[in-house]
Amino acid sequence: MSTTAETAPRALSRRRMRVDGWRWTGRIFLAFMLLYTAVPMIWMLITSIKSGFAALQFPPQWWPDEPTLASYEKLLDPQNSVGQDFLRFFWNSLFVSTVTTILSVIVAVPAAYAFSRFSFPGRNFLFFAVLLRNMFPAVIFLVPLFILMRLLGLMNTHGSLILTYLTFGLPLAIWLLKGFYDNIPVQLEQAARIDGATRFQAFILIVMPLSTPGIIATAIYSFIGAWNEYIYAYTFLTKNDQLTLPVGIQRFFSENTTDFPGLMAASFMMSVPVVVLFLVLQRYFVRALTEGAVKH
Amino acid sequence: MTIVTGKAEARRRLQSGRSGVLRQIWEHRADYAYVLPAIAVMLVVIAYPIYYTIELSFFKTPPGLQLRDKTFIGVDNYTTILTSEVFWRVTWNTLIWTLGSTLIAFVLGFATALALHREFVGRGVLRAILIIPWVISAVAASYIWKWIYHSDFGIIGAVLVGLGLADRPPNFIDSVNTVLPSLIVVNIWREFPFAMIMMMAGLQTVPEQLLRAAQVDGASAWQRFWHVTFPHLRNVSTVTILLLAVANFNSFIIPWIMTGGGPSNASHIWITHIYELAFGRQRWGVASAYSVLLFLTLMTLGYFYVRALSGNERQEGSA
Repeated sequence: MSTTAETAPRALSRRRMRVDGWRWTGRIFLAFMLLYTAVPMIWMLITSIKSGFAALQFPPQWWPDEPTLASYEKLLDPQNSVGQDFLRFFWNSLFVSTVTTILSVIVAVPAAYAFSRFSFPGRNFLFFAVLLRNMFPAVIFLVPLFILMRLLGLMNTHGSLILTYLTFGLPLAIWLLKGFYDNIPVQLEQAARIDGATRFQAFILIVMPLSTPGIIATAIYSFIGAWNEYIYAYTFLTKNDQLTLPVGIQRFFSENTTDFPGLMAASFMMSVPVVVLFLVLQRYFVRALTEGAVKH
Repeated sequence: MTIVTGKAEARRRLQSGRSGVLRQIWEHRADYAYVLPAIAVMLVVIAYPIYYTIELSFFKTPPGLQLRDKTFIGVDNYTTILTSEVFWRVTWNTLIWTLGSTLIAFVLGFATALALHREFVGRGVLRAILIIPWVISAVAASYIWKWIYHSDFGIIGAVLVGLGLADRPPNFIDSVNTVLPSLIVVNIWREFPFAMIMMMAGLQTVPEQLLRAAQVDGASAWQRFWHVTFPHLRNVSTVTILLLAVANFNSFIIPWIMTGGGPSNASHIWITHIYELAFGRQRWGVASAYSVLLFLTLMTLGYFYVRALSGNERQEGSA
């Protein structure tokens, strides 16, 4: 290393080569990850535009000889029974997810604000209780909740799902929002208070508008969580006309086991709302997650 | 009043001697109002079920949930579980599933985050595509992969046969030996984006100057990573790994939809097994005892989780 001065140019070029080596490793790795991620989704799309017959061939048709939208037409046609069911599942999912989302935001906003701003006895305990809840799996709660829902007369209603999703979404929602409130300077509220606003006014007029990105992010999380939830819906709902999409699709295709184009089309359409929501609001989504966890 | 001066006030109160927790609670009574809705909902839906599960685990229960007819049997449910062969099989599966998924998803996610750290054309698009599997429903993911693994018409089998690597499409999820790794691949597909997002955010907190200084001092790319970047990311890594581990320990949908735990329990993990005991075979007492064991395991994990999180906080406070 004492000869660094003389060999500097060569060392530099060697270093550049090595850096290039890393960069190429990175590119190849990214290409591999892209394949891993995208191939299943592309195969889902290709399968969904095959006819039932074309899907069941070996070797498979890499691109269908006769692409057709028949599966989509069938699922979206309110005239036949398949379409009726699918559209109803879709509507049920939309209803449950939307109501859950609105309620989550209403309940989580004050709680997160309190966790971020006030120091009251038990505050830390409560906050960790919130985090800990995240750790317990649905199954632990299933049997007792099943009984509780029967007690409350909520079996086979969307109310059972909304109540459950609300509860299980809350810890994460509070955690995410707290991250946002932590980053809003207290001085802003102080200034408002000095100008004569009550604390509530300061909260509504100053803090709420500033935390809109956090609220949007929390709302997306709640919506996606509720939209994709399976296990409670699978347990609490038995009547066909109340099922949400994940369970509805599963019920439907456990009866039609070989209709892979239909299954792929249904999977695709089930994914569209959440993927679109995610792509449009990506900024908030990613920021919220990291705000809570990285900066804490 | 507490809004700004929370800390100062606490200090003052400490100095003025013990004024009693009750008084403090009374003084802060208004603050609780903000948290009350959240706590109330959680008490009903969380505290009650936990209590009830513990109670049921000591009872023999008739099927059909006629729970008035339950009889107290002490710890029999627990001995039944711990002496059954299936329990150990399932525990082993759970271990492989949790460790395998967590570690590989973390390494892949971290590596992707590193590769995406440098600015290049199309980075945003690539990142968005890579995150999609994490957003879509696990039910959809399960069906997509079930179709990909299909033993007659699956695309992987077709590619292997086409390349001459296999005579006929292999059985991925119908064979005892390959089912668990195959499911782990699906799980990682859904999960690595989460690790990627977390680590990308973590990478942004690594001070540029330090990296540049290390470069000037002649540190290689690997040395810079190992001695500067990685130590900075220790906390984020801990949190990410713990969150992944907990999520994996608790996963249900992928094994349940893709295999239902089969063939011959080879892909049953704790959660799917408990579900089957409860809602399939209606052995509520045994399932409850299982849940309590699960609960205890998670409490242990949770202890480390909280410690890692508060470690985070402490370090930030001193910085």
